[in-house]
Parts: sequence; C-alpha cells; structure tokens
Amino acid sequence: MATIISAAAPPQQQEQGPGPERGRGSRDRVIGVFKATPFTYATLIIVSAVLCVPLVFVVSIALASDQTVNANTFTIIPGEFHWSNFTRVFGTDLPMQKFLLNSVIISLGAVAGQVLSSGLVGYAFARLRAPGKNALFIIVIATMMIPSQITMIPQFILFKELGWVNTFLPLIVPNFFSNAFNVFLVRQFVSRLPSEIDEAAMVDGLGFFGIYRRIMLPMLAPVLIAIGIFTLTATWGDFMGPLIYLNDESKMPLALGVQYITSTSAALQAPPWNLVMVGSILLTLPMILVYYLGQRYLYEMDISGGSAGVK
Amino acid sequence: MSKLRRREALWFYLFASPWIIGFIVFLLGPMIASIYISLTDWDSFTPPKWVGLENYTRLLTEDPVFWKALWNTFYYAAISVPLGLVIGLWLANLLNKQVRARKVFRTLIYLPTLVPLVATAMIFKMVLAPAGPLNDVLGIFHIPGPSWLLEAVWVKPALILLSVWGAGGATVLLLAAMKGIPRELYEAAEVDGASPIRQFWSITVPQLTPIIFFNLIMGLIGAFQVFSQVYILTKGGPNNASQTMVPLLFDEAFSFYHMGYASAISWMLFAVILVFTLLAFRTARRWVFYETEVK
Repeated sequence: MATIISAAAPPQQQEQGPGPERGRGSRDRVIGVFKATPFTYATLIIVSAVLCVPLVFVVSIALASDQTVNANTFTIIPGEFHWSNFTRVFGTDLPMQKFLLNSVIISLGAVAGQVLSSGLVGYAFARLRAPGKNALFIIVIATMMIPSQITMIPQFILFKELGWVNTFLPLIVPNFFSNAFNVFLVRQFVSRLPSEIDEAAMVDGLGFFGIYRRIMLPMLAPVLIAIGIFTLTATWGDFMGPLIYLNDESKMPLALGVQYITSTSAALQAPPWNLVMVGSILLTLPMILVYYLGQRYLYEMDISGGSAGVK
Repeated sequence: MSKLRRREALWFYLFASPWIIGFIVFLLGPMIASIYISLTDWDSFTPPKWVGLENYTRLLTEDPVFWKALWNTFYYAAISVPLGLVIGLWLANLLNKQVRARKVFRTLIYLPTLVPLVATAMIFKMVLAPAGPLNDVLGIFHIPGPSWLLEAVWVKPALILLSVWGAGGATVLLLAAMKGIPRELYEAAEVDGASPIRQFWSITVPQLTPIIFFNLIMGLIGAFQVFSQVYILTKGGPNNASQTMVPLLFDEAFSFYHMGYASAISWMLFAVILVFTLLAFRTARRWVFYETEVK
C-alpha cells in the first residue's frame, strides 16, 4: 500500500522540474523527443476527430425528428435541427425536470455530507494526538481495498429494515460519515500546513473545535472543493445506487431516468432516441461545467481520479 | 496522561467519530453480515437457511455462468486497462511535444471522460448499432461491420472500445507527470545522440513508471468492477458472452433474490481483486522506478 500512496502523493516535486515548456526561446534547438513533426499534428487531429465523432453523433440524434428516429436514418453530422426536442423533454413528453431535480437533491446532499465530515475527520487524523490513532489510520487505508460490492447486500437489507428503500436517504446519508479516500486526502493536505499555525491559535486560547472552525476550515478550501467535485461527479453519474434503491419513476435521478426511458418503451416500438440523447446531453453538460470551473483545484490536488482512464 | 493530552484524545475521537461510526455501521457490520449471508440460502423475505460452504462449492464446481463471467472479467480487464494506458501514454507523448493549440487537443481528448457512464453507454448503443456510424466508417473501407453488441465474438471488443474512448483520462494525468521530468535528462541524451524514440523509451517511460503503476492498479480494480455499461448495453448477453462479475452478482441479488449466492460471488470478487493487486505489487519491484528509493 505504501508504494501506491507515494505514487499518488508527490505533486509538489512533480510541478517544479523544468518541463519542456520552460526555457523555450533561450535555447535554439528543440530536443528530439519534443519536436513536433507533421506526423504529430496529423495523428493528433485524427485522434481528436475520432474521439469527437460519438459526441457529434449525439447532438445529431438529439436534434432529429421523431420520423428520423422511427426510420432509424440518423446522420453523423446534424442534418435537421428540431430544437423543440430540448423543451419537449420537460413535462410534455418526459418528466426530465423531475429527474434533474432529483439528481440535484441527491448530489448536493452527498456533497454536503462528504465536505462536512471529511474535513473534520481528516484534520483529526493529521493533527490531534490520541492513543490508537495510528492503528485506526491503518484501518482507514485498508478499507480502500474493499470493493463496495461486499457491503452492497447487507447495506440494502439495513436500509430496507429502516424503511428507506425508494427514498433518497440510502444515497445521501452514508456520505455524512465520510470515506477513506477523502479522509486520506484531507489528512495529507493538513500535514503539509505548518503546525505553528494551530500552536499559535492554541496559545491564544482557542479550543480544538475553534482551531478547526476558524483557522483550518478556511485553509482547507482547496481540498474540500476538490472533494466536493469528486463527490458531485460520482453521485451525479451513479447508476447502480439509484438502480438498487429507487423503483419509482418520480424518484429517479437523471442517470437512472435516461436509462429507464429506453428500457420501458414497448417491445415493438423504438425508444425515443432523440429525447434519450437530449437526456444524455443534460446529464453531461453539468459535468463539463463543473470540470471547467473546478479544474484548477483538481490540478492543485494532482489527483484527478486515478482510474479516470478506465471506466 | 496529562489532562490536556486526555482532552486532546477525546477531541480526536469526537472529530473522527463520523468515520468510526460509518466504518462500523456501513462497512465492518455489513462485512461480517456478508460472510454470514454467504454461508446461507436466503431470499431476504424468509429466515435464512444455513448451508455452510455450499454456495462457494456450487460457484466453483457447478456454475458454468460464474466461470464464464470470471473469464469475461479477466478478458475485459487484461485488455482494456493496458490498452487504455498505452494509448493514453502515446497521446500524452504527442501532447508533450511543442505543438500549437495543445490546449485544444488536450480538451478534445479529455472530453469523453467527462461524459457520465450512463450517457456513454447510451451513445455507444447508437454508435455500435448494426447500421450505426462505426459500421458506416468500416463500410467505406469495404469492411463488413459485425453487429457488435449482438454477436458473442464481438461484444467484449465492443465494451473494450467503449472503455478506450475514455483513455484521455490517463493522458491528462501522464501529461502532468511528463512536465515534471527534469529537462537535463533529455539534454544529456540529446548530446549523446539518442534518437527521439530512444529518449522516449529510456527517459520518459522509466520516469513515468510510478504513475503508470498507480493507473494500472486503479484501472484493474475499476475494470474488475465493471457494471453500468454491461448492464445497460448487453445485460450480459448474448448467451452470457459479456456477463461479468458485478452484473452477475447484481442479478443474483436483486433479480433472483439469491442473497447468499450473491454474497459468495462478492467475496470471490474481493479475492480476485486482492490477488491481482498483490501480484501487481510483487512485479512492481522489477519495473517501477522510484527516484528516492535506496537499494
């Protein structure tokens, strides 16, 4: 485990080395491996284009008429522009506004839970001294190895006994108890802050909670924002959780609702693919926005999701 | 212990209580329950019936679907993760060159990873349709495209294709790490007359091995737990050709209410993940390069 952590952790040292960017101009010759050839450009253009084809295709389908959907005659480049598809999904043809609202409630609840709890727990593990702390921290790290499928069934039984099935609670409440990864992030972040700060505050007569509330919390903003972004993207796109706990169409978040539409249309009738793709776009746009607004915090943390490459 | 130290310890446990309570209620308790459930025959409505290790022996000796799912999961992880990393590394190397409009390329390559998995699955359902754009493109080159998701031979490559669409995630991470490689190493290699390809293999790749290793581990763990795309696109079909561990577990638990059997599958999944993670760590000594390591 120690190696994986050190592989993930050292951002400062990574940033400081003089990359190929630096020293440009001061040197005349470009080092071989950094030389961009026409082949480099050709490859980048082709790869970018290939990766974007599915996205262009989505827009094309989202703007297609119902007739095109039924005849299954889509084009990759948008040929028709039925912008009304984007308003039809709200209320008249699909309850998209309901799906969206559910997604927002669940995601914001989860984010609030993780941000509130992870800061506290991470700070405690970084700064406060107590017997048994190190043993507990080893447990924190060890729990990261356990796949969530192990606890899935007993958790389902637990929430069923509590009468929480078909409510948002199973998807929100566990977040108020933080998770190992976030605790670890905050702990690492706090460990890098000079300890003179809280020692001085202690001398000034602030209690532990006062130190956390007044001194630490403002300084934790970057890591808490990063945690908020991770939690938001994970909850917003979560499919399995809602699939297990929510059966009522009116309770479904967007990620489940979009899938639900395609699975319930009558056997001989094609799903309304244009509206499904409008749903997919509505599901994707907030993620692009969040990434755009939050990327500097993510890069600051240098942990933009280790498994990002493999979905 | 002094009064102050005792107070500090008290505050520690108070602050850490959300995690401690969560650990007991949502992890430790359920884990113990899961072991017990896996040793019973239980439909979650009537009282569980103790069957000992029968679920496990049935899984390993009598259930061809489990073995098929296990094989499919291996197949998927063993190809999609290294392939995604190789493509990610290759693209990162291209972006690390002095190219114009690097930010535009980087954004376009990263964009697919921002699409939530459910939306990705919806998109690929259309892209991989028998008369979809992928087969249109293949048609241009006079290659008859298969009906990807409907053919036992092509359904796994189709799922791998979907995962490779997100290779840009690794690219961004590797690119950030590449920026941190000391320029002096390349300058020295240049003076010694090393070709660009040699520079890439002898400097870039070894320097990146810690990040590659991290991505490999996280990628494998993620790939073993693949669910949404399988559930949405194929439901494990055709004829279980794309059935993997987690969708199988999900079906057993929430479609057939075989809670005991499903719990046993979850422990097998854990064992598989554990074995592969340990194996990766064992081999790491041989190929992962740590600058600060004292040998």
